[in-house]
Amino acid sequence: MTSQTIPEARVRSAPDLGVLLTGAGALLLVGSALLPWAGYAGFPGKMTLSGYPGGARLYVLLLALPALALLRPLPGRAAALRAAANVELAVVALTVYFVAYAGGGFVNVGGGVYPAMIGAILYLVGSRRLPTSEAVAEGVALPDASWRFPVESLVVAGTAGLALWLFVIGLGMPSSSIASGSDLTLGPLSINDVANSGQFLAYVITIAGVALVAGRLGLLKSLTIMTGRHPKLFVAAGFIAAAAFPFTQNGSGESLSIAARIGVFAAAAVGLNIVVGLAGLLDLGYIAFFGVGAYFGALVSGSVTSVTGVHLPFALTIVLGGLVSGIFGLLLGAPTLRLRGDYLAIVTLGFGEIFRITVNNLDGSAGPSLTNGPNGVSNIPDLALGSFNFGANHTLFGIDLSFQSNYYWLELLLLAFVMTSFLRLSESRIGRAWVAIREDELAAAATGINTTRLKLLAFALGATLAGAAGTVNAHVVKVAAPDSFTFIESATLLAAIILGGMGTVPGALLGATVLYLLPEKLRFLHDLRLLVFGIALVLIMRFRPEGLVASKRRAREFHDHETDPAAEAVA
Amino acid sequence: MDVFFQQLVNAIVLGATYGLVALGYTMVYGIVQLINFAHGEIYMLGGFGALTTYLALPSGTPAGISLPLMLVGGIAVSVTAAVIMERFAYRPLRSAPRLAPLITAIGVSVFLQELVRNFYPHARSARNFPQLVNPDYQIRLGSNVQISAPQLLTVTVALVGMVTLSTFVRRSRTGRAMQATAQDPDTARLMGIDTDRIIVTAFVLGAALAALAGVSSGLQFGQVDFHMGFITGVKAFTAAVLGGIGNISGAVLGGFILGLVEVMATQYAPDPFSGGAWKDAWSFVVLIIVLVFRPTGLLGERVAARA
Repeated sequence: MTSQTIPEARVRSAPDLGVLLTGAGALLLVGSALLPWAGYAGFPGKMTLSGYPGGARLYVLLLALPALALLRPLPGRAAALRAAANVELAVVALTVYFVAYAGGGFVNVGGGVYPAMIGAILYLVGSRRLPTSEAVAEGVALPDASWRFPVESLVVAGTAGLALWLFVIGLGMPSSSIASGSDLTLGPLSINDVANSGQFLAYVITIAGVALVAGRLGLLKSLTIMTGRHPKLFVAAGFIAAAAFPFTQNGSGESLSIAARIGVFAAAAVGLNIVVGLAGLLDLGYIAFFGVGAYFGALVSGSVTSVTGVHLPFALTIVLGGLVSGIFGLLLGAPTLRLRGDYLAIVTLGFGEIFRITVNNLDGSAGPSLTNGPNGVSNIPDLALGSFNFGANHTLFGIDLSFQSNYYWLELLLLAFVMTSFLRLSESRIGRAWVAIREDELAAAATGINTTRLKLLAFALGATLAGAAGTVNAHVVKVAAPDSFTFIESATLLAAIILGGMGTVPGALLGATVLYLLPEKLRFLHDLRLLVFGIALVLIMRFRPEGLVASKRRAREFHDHETDPAAEAVA
Repeated sequence: MDVFFQQLVNAIVLGATYGLVALGYTMVYGIVQLINFAHGEIYMLGGFGALTTYLALPSGTPAGISLPLMLVGGIAVSVTAAVIMERFAYRPLRSAPRLAPLITAIGVSVFLQELVRNFYPHARSARNFPQLVNPDYQIRLGSNVQISAPQLLTVTVALVGMVTLSTFVRRSRTGRAMQATAQDPDTARLMGIDTDRIIVTAFVLGAALAALAGVSSGLQFGQVDFHMGFITGVKAFTAAVLGGIGNISGAVLGGFILGLVEVMATQYAPDPFSGGAWKDAWSFVVLIIVLVFRPTGLLGERVAARA
């Protein structure tokens, strides 16, 4: 783009080719959004109607809107439009592909598809020719006036609400009749599966694209300034919005149960983030600690399949489950944490395997009878706190709530607890010491940090949180079985915090959500899900190793050698 | 006593396989300090490469011709995969923090497994491997101690591979360059060693040995499976760590010790914990115990200081 350094003055006087092309492309796209895209009924989003931009056509429309920035030379405009055009092309291509695929061929697409394809290409070509300027969009801070506080609060709370709302829409998108949590053994796919997957993918890409455009225009920076001034308000708004989610479900529980699973997965990811993200200890068997908690919870739940026959109060179960898991963490960590990082990785992996093998064998024939072997401890009864039964539907404020909402709130509390622990710890003296150990253990020890003890603390705390999360999860999914605690689960958790951004809470949340939701919704990938997962890990490490939401320090650590030629010469 | 000696034979055979695969881990680790998690999959690909070669040959080809060709085919597939993997997944990350390539390695491992599972014909469950070396042909070593022909082949192939590698590393120019790179990559580069080429060489040698192990395990058990690389890979890495990672003789020693532990624990562990169901658990228990008392492994010495 260096050849495009046209002086600002000339750009303003006569609109150049880039502006014209981009504008024309955007107009075509808007027009196409009002025309039917499918020649047959059945594709989600009412794609056969004209004048009704629903479903994927709404996303096309949304991504054409940044073209309004052509009217004024905003800073970062060219970059924002380039991003919008890239994403627009992806959404159009994807949607056309899925409409044609689900309709049995390209002959069955509607008339809106042609202007959309031409428009998307013009948009792309035009945005590449826009005059670029050196000016990068900066965040805007509001002036210190009496109206600043209410406006900022509104924006901050609105952002939290908006994020949750977008999440809820994505979650509520039809994923056809396949039960959640089922595994790779799916039957052949129906047309609906394909069409729904296509629309969901377009939705996710659009959200990412809008976020990208907002970032290029400096809107995210402004938002960060505002949320940074009211962090508690932001968190509270997010929590309230999340807690209000069950009221929007009209008594249905399907989305709630997925959300609850995401919640527990995210809680485990945040816990692992303490071990890996803060203290830099690579734990490849983290799911085993989760499993210790789950089995403990299951064995003392009073389930008929539990050999102990013990039924402890739930609050006590959580605490004890966490403690038991933490003790395992201490036992494993004490001898091994003096070792170098790679040895720790293999020892934790070994522990994960030992755990899985052990619970698989304690069935009374290959070993002592404790865990029912491969069948696991199942039929865990519903929780009851006093007279409140978690397994019953309730009505609150005149709104029907399915029983899943009880478990959803339970998971939300767990997540809030784990997040709070993480944030308090990371800002404490202990957290700073962990980061110091992660960055350079020798230097940390030289400044008087007791590295062994602190590493052990991180390891045991991570194990404790995982154990507590495991006891809760056992009651949510009603079973603890060895299949749920394999190496691939540990790898997925690790991938979640790496994808999201190591050492940050929003990163772990985002990573856990994406990694849980995508396979759940992208049924068309079918058996190729793990294959895509493997490729994705490689690509993330190659192109964005600091994750989607990077802490500033980590981003620098990963990209230092790219900007600093001296560092590269040394390395 | 016969049972003990018979198990000793089995242990040596198993240990030979672990040792062969462990060599790949230890060479790569010694040079670039990377746990090449996908190395187990390279072993698996060796088995599938040999199977493909066999299926491509006209039926009725005598074993004396098809067996060497299968070994070559297996090695070719493994080496190709390893070179591509090094070039496109690991090399771009050479200056990144150490966590990054490890996660890439996990990704590559999952990818290769799924690639075979999804795209190799009928590979979703185990595929039969031709029984070219008759497993019923037993050689008596004592009154009740015997070794089957495929087992003998495994041990022979392993010993030949190990000796060749050790000679290569100690005597050849490239081998000495490998040692130099492992000791100090920066100085090695200053001495005119093309370290990129050395790293690729380490991957290639490791892959070739892993392919030998993959083919011989196919011959022994009569099947190959997309999943067979995971547990063998983890065990082989354990063997490398046991022996002291980065140390070539250590990997072989670690392999044999691990084989011994696994076989003997299966036979002699206290009652409820013996038998095949517990053998993997025993290997890891031994690993943890060894690391507690000898954190750098049995033969590893300077590795810990180089972190």
